[in-house]
Amino acid sequence: MPYRANMMVCAGTGCVSNHSLELKQALEEEIQKRGLTDEVQVVPTGCNGFCGAGPIVVVQPDGIFYQLLKVKDIPYLVEEHLLKGRPVPRLMYVPPEEKTPIPKMNDIGFFKGQMLVALRNRGMIDPENIDDYIARDGYRSLAKVLTTMTPDEVIGVIKASGLRGRGGGGFPTGIKWESCKKAEGDIKYVICNADEGDPGAFMDRSIIEGDPHSVLEGMAIGAYAIGVSQGYIYVRIEYPLAIQRFRIALKQARDYGLLGDNIFGTGFSFDVDIRRGAGAFVCGESTALMASVEGRPGEPRAKYIHTVEHGLWNRPTCLNNVETWATVPVIILRGVEWFTSIGTGDVSQNPWGGSKGTKVFSLAGKINNTGLVEVPMGITLREMIYDVGGGIPKGRKFKAVQTGGPSGGFLPTELLDLQVDYEQLTEAGSMMGSGGMVVMDEDNCMVDMAKYFLTFTQDESCGKCTPCREGTLQMLEILKRICEGKGVPEDIQLLEDLSHFVIDASLCALGGSAPNPVLTSLRYFRDEYITHIRDKKCPAHICRDLNVYTIDPELCLVKGHGCGVCRRQCPDSAIVGEKNQVHNIDQELCKKCGVCLDVCKFDAVKVA
Amino acid sequence: MIKVTIDGRDIEVKEETTILNAARELGIKIPTLCYSEFLEPYAVCRICLCEVVRGKRSRLVTACNYPLRDASVSILTNSARVRNLRKLNLELLLAQAPAAKIVQDLAAEYGVTKTRFPIKNPDEKCILCGLCVQVCENLVGAGAIGFSSRGSKREVSTPWGVEPETCILCGACAHFCPTGHIVMTEEADERILHSELTLGPNAAISIPFRQAIPNVPRIDVEHCIHFKTGGCELCSKVCPKDCIDYQMKDEIEDIDVGAIVVATGFQDFDPTPLKQYGYGKYANVLSSIEFEQMNNAASPTGGAIVLENGEEPRSVAILHCIGSRDENNHKYCSRVCCMYALKFAHLIKEKTTAEVYQLYIDMRAFGKGYEEFYHRLLEEGVNVIRGKGAEIAPIGGKFGEEGLLVRCEDTLISKFREIPVDMVVLCTALEARDDSADLARKLNISKGADGWFIEAHPKLAPVSTTTDGVFLAGVCQGPKDIPDAVAQGTAAAGQAMKLMTVGELFLDAAYAAITDEICSGCRICNGLCPYNAISFLEDKKVSEVNAAMCKACGTCAAACPSGAITARHFTDDQIYAQIEAIFA
Repeated sequence: MPYRANMMVCAGTGCVSNHSLELKQALEEEIQKRGLTDEVQVVPTGCNGFCGAGPIVVVQPDGIFYQLLKVKDIPYLVEEHLLKGRPVPRLMYVPPEEKTPIPKMNDIGFFKGQMLVALRNRGMIDPENIDDYIARDGYRSLAKVLTTMTPDEVIGVIKASGLRGRGGGGFPTGIKWESCKKAEGDIKYVICNADEGDPGAFMDRSIIEGDPHSVLEGMAIGAYAIGVSQGYIYVRIEYPLAIQRFRIALKQARDYGLLGDNIFGTGFSFDVDIRRGAGAFVCGESTALMASVEGRPGEPRAKYIHTVEHGLWNRPTCLNNVETWATVPVIILRGVEWFTSIGTGDVSQNPWGGSKGTKVFSLAGKINNTGLVEVPMGITLREMIYDVGGGIPKGRKFKAVQTGGPSGGFLPTELLDLQVDYEQLTEAGSMMGSGGMVVMDEDNCMVDMAKYFLTFTQDESCGKCTPCREGTLQMLEILKRICEGKGVPEDIQLLEDLSHFVIDASLCALGGSAPNPVLTSLRYFRDEYITHIRDKKCPAHICRDLNVYTIDPELCLVKGHGCGVCRRQCPDSAIVGEKNQVHNIDQELCKKCGVCLDVCKFDAVKVA
Repeated sequence: MIKVTIDGRDIEVKEETTILNAARELGIKIPTLCYSEFLEPYAVCRICLCEVVRGKRSRLVTACNYPLRDASVSILTNSARVRNLRKLNLELLLAQAPAAKIVQDLAAEYGVTKTRFPIKNPDEKCILCGLCVQVCENLVGAGAIGFSSRGSKREVSTPWGVEPETCILCGACAHFCPTGHIVMTEEADERILHSELTLGPNAAISIPFRQAIPNVPRIDVEHCIHFKTGGCELCSKVCPKDCIDYQMKDEIEDIDVGAIVVATGFQDFDPTPLKQYGYGKYANVLSSIEFEQMNNAASPTGGAIVLENGEEPRSVAILHCIGSRDENNHKYCSRVCCMYALKFAHLIKEKTTAEVYQLYIDMRAFGKGYEEFYHRLLEEGVNVIRGKGAEIAPIGGKFGEEGLLVRCEDTLISKFREIPVDMVVLCTALEARDDSADLARKLNISKGADGWFIEAHPKLAPVSTTTDGVFLAGVCQGPKDIPDAVAQGTAAAGQAMKLMTVGELFLDAAYAAITDEICSGCRICNGLCPYNAISFLEDKKVSEVNAAMCKACGTCAAACPSGAITARHFTDDQIYAQIEAIFA
């Protein structure tokens, strides 16, 4: 018997850490108490992407969106919405700077601009239930491929679709499959790269946790096309829920005969195993990943001999990202024409001619709607940040956006109308990467941001090759120096030289892209570097060593009456002054911690 | 084959040839730090970066592992861009490993003398090229060292920094280390590394000595890395003729022969038990064979006569008859010592300015030209003292490092003498090999009380033995010098040839025969036959005489309880008839 209403409780990692599982239990108890068990079903779903609003419950089929729920809200919600049929406005989403709540999920700006392909089952299914997936056309593509198409036809479709690797490189998937199929060897492998390592990026995790079967189906289709009978999923161990969901999905798929021997009675056999990675960033690089799967240290090797020819255990191996695999079944089902209608460019002649389909991005940083969004390729940065992302909080001014993870470049205001696709991002000095998007506002210091991201990549460098190991180290030293006010004018040239050297000379793409934040910040925000070096000032007052804290005597006396809070809070006893008198900061003693600035209620402490 | 252009010069190479190898063929030098021709290119130092130009596009690749596949490319190994990258690379390496000489030298070559970057550790030598790790894992197969930590904390270490069990102390890592960061040290007098792997005299593969026959290298299985780990095989990789065979093993072969020449020689008498001479205790007391070896041009001293401290001796005493003509050891005379002792004296006189003393009992210079040689030596100023060396004592130092005192009685002047010398050579006796009894039993030949094999007749058959077809040659029959040994060897060979060239064997008419029908198979005769001529036939259950080996001694015939054995031409009837004829 169908249910009158489905309470879709988000069970993504973000919401779970905000107690959504307790929420679910409370909901179930409440529903039972009210005798609605036969009418209302509670469904745990994968991540909805709008993690800033979690925990989230969506009531289907109406699509009423409740956010920031607490267990104590549940009885009221059940009574009002489910018993009396009155949605509860106070638990709904209210756009920033507005007052009217938006009841329906699809009317919210965050969701409105999105187009769900890889995330097609987001929030709609229980990821631990294969029947839910099948009910939404799951495994239909696999059936279609196995029963009506030849491997070459499958590759033809993927090639024609213009699908390109979603993991960062943007290599045309169809061409990769074709070369792997053509490569010599009886035994070949497919690998799903789920070693998502960009800080702040969680699209792969979200797909696995929310819809693991879509990945498995994509892998099976690829395996059929290439002629593979064994696949591996490489997941980092920091994703325990993803690993668990994959395990459950694998078991269910095997039980249903969708994996294993003789799938659909067609004679095609394929199975998948999980390999857990220890969480090194560099293991997202294909050769390092394969080394790690083989049980060796996760370090890359030169790729003059391609992995499609000599990959895992020296056998032809096709490696694709989670998102790529998850997109494959949709292309098979809905066709090339539909897929190519989305996105930029023309891929009918040249697979590098455009960026087709959709891409998942994780919005982070100084943006109102942080979370995961899937948008069509070719969307402008402006649409992404202001429409989908809801703009910058507190009405501050946009300064830059970094795309593509920690090795992506910073794109300034002038490029806000840049279309998001592989070529245009690369040209602007950034990259698609795995789809990270970090927004920075006027309060961010670009030198500091470059330092921040380089610290990450430098720390994650495996150290195998000299340029990446030593080059990024010295670049970081220079950046630190500049931020401490010890920079010299030659540093800018040296940084540029080092950046180009590291990009040109590194063994793998980690070093090949790590200097991007530095290079783009030098390209678009060079004046900030000059201010740091020449004037020893940080315009955004982020680099503490360059700050000078002073107390405005008038404000201190007139408004604050010499309250003395700053003096008491100062950890270095650098502030002197009698009660009810003007206070002063002894610059000799001041360690520039900024506590005085934070504690002064009268804005009397000034920073310059 | 494809044609490519390197620095403007055309070359035709096989497909998949690396840029580095192609450039080397042209004599173009591309610098490398982490490359070894014995290993898969690791491509981490990035010093060998070159530009590959295809049309208008140029791409940077590492020369060590970039395979040439495309005919239309031209390669720039030393363009301005490449040089700039190398300079910056070297500058970074100078900051990371300032003490690495190879980096300093290469940097100087590129005009980089100083680094603009802060130096972490001025003594650091490791450039993390990975050669040691690669060698240990992929060549040696031990996997005893690896990289730990990552990024700028990366370092070469053993697992958990403790002494690895898998290390076989081969020293390959130190040998391959280009900067000298890895060194092998000797601990507690125990030599744990010699300069192995250089394929030099101490390598695990070498020609045992210069005159070795056959004159080919052999593998010292005990020290060869391959036999420890299954890895390495460097020697086979460098051998252009594929001669190295690791499967080769010692084999025991059965060879059917018609004649045997026994030429097993002698062994040197060990003077250690004669405590009075301090052999093995005092630094510069040598046995004659050791002194002989020192004089060899291929010896560790290169043929120079030196003391243990490397200095030339000022005086040398040569003591005759050590172990020979000695009631307590061998009573016989070793025959060769007098003459080689004179030769030693001559060599010492020739190579050094040392004073030489010969201490002898009788000077036995009996051969052709020997006496003349003795006189020549006397003229050369060799001191000869008639009297056996009695004792050697140290002058200074516990082990006589500062000199030795030789005590003897000079019988010609009836005086007790003490002679201070730097070096003593003991002319040790020749003695029969320890295994001579074994061999005698096997070949059924006899051996005297002194251990030497006995010939069939001292005058009439000096190379034959009591067993037909077995001949003696050289010292195994008794002490003799080289000319005598050669003469006897030639004679033995002639005897053996005589048997072979005839092609058939003439037997004595007289030999024992067993009548099968009467033989009970008791095998009494088997053990009694002194010539091993009787064997038991398992299938017929009777014994049989090998007529070729039988000497017709009649022992078996006399012993056979069933009377089954008859000595042909010496049958009982014949003997009785002869007796009757005598008494008739």
